[in-house]
Amino acid sequence: MRVPSRLRTPNPHLGAYYAIVTSAFISIVIVLAMFEQLGWGKALIAQTMMLGPLALYLVIATGTRTYDAEDFFVSGRRVPAVYNGFVLAAVAVGGVGFVAYTGTVFLLGFDALAIGLGWAVGLLAASILFVPYLRKAGSYTLPAFLGHRFRSRSLRIAASAMQLPPTALLLAAELKLAALVAALFLPLSFSIAAIMVAAIIAASVLLGGMRSLTWTASAQFLIAAVGLVAVVTTVSVLLTNVPAPQFTYGSLFPALQNAEIGAGVAPLDPGTVAIMLPGQDPLPTVKPLLQAFGFIGPFDFAALFLCLAFGMAALPTLLARSGVTSSLADQRRACAWGLLFVALFVMTAPAVAVFAKLLIFRDIALAPASSLPAWLAELSQSQLLQAGDANGDGSIAAGELFIKRDGVLFALSPGAGLPYVFAVLMGVSALAVALAASASHLFTLAASLSEDIYRVADPRHVLPQLIAARVAVAAVALAAAVFLIIADLDPLSAALLALSFAGATFFPVLLLAIWWRRFTKWGAMAAMGIGFAVMLIEAVFGAGFGKAAFNAPVASLLGILLALAAGIGVSFYFARPSKAEDDYWEEMRDPEGETIYDRAQWRAAATASTSAAATEQ
Amino acid sequence: MATETPTSDHPAIPTGDHPARDRHQIQTLILAASILVVALAAVVFSVTFAASLNRYGVLYFPLGFYLLAQGLLIFIVVLAFWFVRIQERIDLARSQGEGL
Repeated sequence: MRVPSRLRTPNPHLGAYYAIVTSAFISIVIVLAMFEQLGWGKALIAQTMMLGPLALYLVIATGTRTYDAEDFFVSGRRVPAVYNGFVLAAVAVGGVGFVAYTGTVFLLGFDALAIGLGWAVGLLAASILFVPYLRKAGSYTLPAFLGHRFRSRSLRIAASAMQLPPTALLLAAELKLAALVAALFLPLSFSIAAIMVAAIIAASVLLGGMRSLTWTASAQFLIAAVGLVAVVTTVSVLLTNVPAPQFTYGSLFPALQNAEIGAGVAPLDPGTVAIMLPGQDPLPTVKPLLQAFGFIGPFDFAALFLCLAFGMAALPTLLARSGVTSSLADQRRACAWGLLFVALFVMTAPAVAVFAKLLIFRDIALAPASSLPAWLAELSQSQLLQAGDANGDGSIAAGELFIKRDGVLFALSPGAGLPYVFAVLMGVSALAVALAASASHLFTLAASLSEDIYRVADPRHVLPQLIAARVAVAAVALAAAVFLIIADLDPLSAALLALSFAGATFFPVLLLAIWWRRFTKWGAMAAMGIGFAVMLIEAVFGAGFGKAAFNAPVASLLGILLALAAGIGVSFYFARPSKAEDDYWEEMRDPEGETIYDRAQWRAAATASTSAAATEQ
Repeated sequence: MATETPTSDHPAIPTGDHPARDRHQIQTLILAASILVVALAAVVFSVTFAASLNRYGVLYFPLGFYLLAQGLLIFIVVLAFWFVRIQERIDLARSQGEGL
């Protein structure tokens, strides 16, 4: 048996490595910007900028390969807090947040703020309620933690099965966004792009598991941050003369309101529209950005916020990263860093939306239909935006301007008249964060399938531990690519449904398992089962990923309440927890010492060596 | 199924044999509940009064919009780092108490 290492010293050169990676990326962007001015074609610039970072990710993934189980599943428990914060933020925001949230703020304005706020409060709740205790437990997966906590294999298998829908939905959503961005800037069809992206994320985790995932995703986070900051700050300087977009876009509100009024955007009555988030097809802007509760009423705003907060707090992919730092205190700090990075993005997204809206309305909606800017033709070719003088009045009103939710981010740079390098830079950023998130979901899903289902169901362990995990990674990546090619999935709706599933299924059981000593195995089974069943009913009978997906938040909240009641009721009905469960609960709350899982491994190894020595004598 | 009664080797609640441990658990619970209640109360307040607060301005932003787009996020991040600091003190007090 392999004994987990007690050495938890992180690589002291990490800062230098990532400074080199970031500097190299910035240098490539500057060089390509110069080449663009010297006459390089757009296709060549796009291919160089997109493929260069992809090659870098693969080099990092290959360089961090491992044959050690602790490295493969928890990155050797020596990831510094800030780097874990990078990855937590990349997973929490993801490509869906990076691209679709920005577009949603563009289309819904104020009403979309519930989404970003939900993510932030969810991360705060996770960092306080769950993460420190999961770090002390040290289990490799969330279902494994539940199995160890209640000494139950059946609970572990059930939790792994119920983890499938939310994680698979998020994997598909992130993969789709990554494939869309790749197909936008590279000469690839969507199907080929989906296969390429699935192959890249599989390669990212196949050799090194969580270890290569951590270091690849850290580079991806830095590249995404550099890209977003460079583009948004440049546009901010052009529009407000101040390089602090988060704090200056408010000064553009009077101009934006004038543009909206000129384009015929009138305040909405919350009761007059179907309650749903914008889909992936091009849509007109229907409400002023600043109008409060024009599209989503206060009750639905609160339901959406709570659902996302609970879902984010109990997201298996985020919680699976609870064991990668060297200490419990470091894990808490990692969560705080992750929350800081998420908050910075959530504060930046409305700035992007306001800049893009002002530029688009100023150049398109307020100009004569006969003299539309050239960049509109480019965006129309990419099917990101459609504008036409439908009523023949010589101008284009808001109702004649259809904008793709996922295209807003990429319309910012051409709308501001920036060089093409900036447009590709935004694409590289979106692709990077989508790859980081999708690789994390892929690893979580594959690790759970191999560790919680295969190795529990097959006690003979025909396949060695790491081989089983790698086979699962390859199989899940292949299945995700095939699914994307044959199914039409809206990433935002799928992510919302996934977070609703995660919240209803895992939030109640984790809350009670960590904070209530009297909670029992059967209570846990009931809580998970009820929450999952409520969401399954909503997903199956609520038209799946279509218009009814917005009802998922209400169903999720209902599921959480019912699951809490079921968990408490069933726990009181059945016998008290065993002494072993009680001791585990107590041990989990001790902030000192190594993880419970590692100590169990050491004890088992010591027993095995003692037995071997006795046999030799 | 019948419910078991607590026994001396299987207590239902902390017995008081470990004062540092019990104090740590109570302080941890109070801290966690306080932070989450404060964060949720701030969100509920901002959402409930957003439309009314929009009549006032801060840094060129309508106040209700600003709170939901930035103010609450800054507050939550500050809460998160404050939690880390306070919880580390509570943990340290437990380890010192158990070491005595």
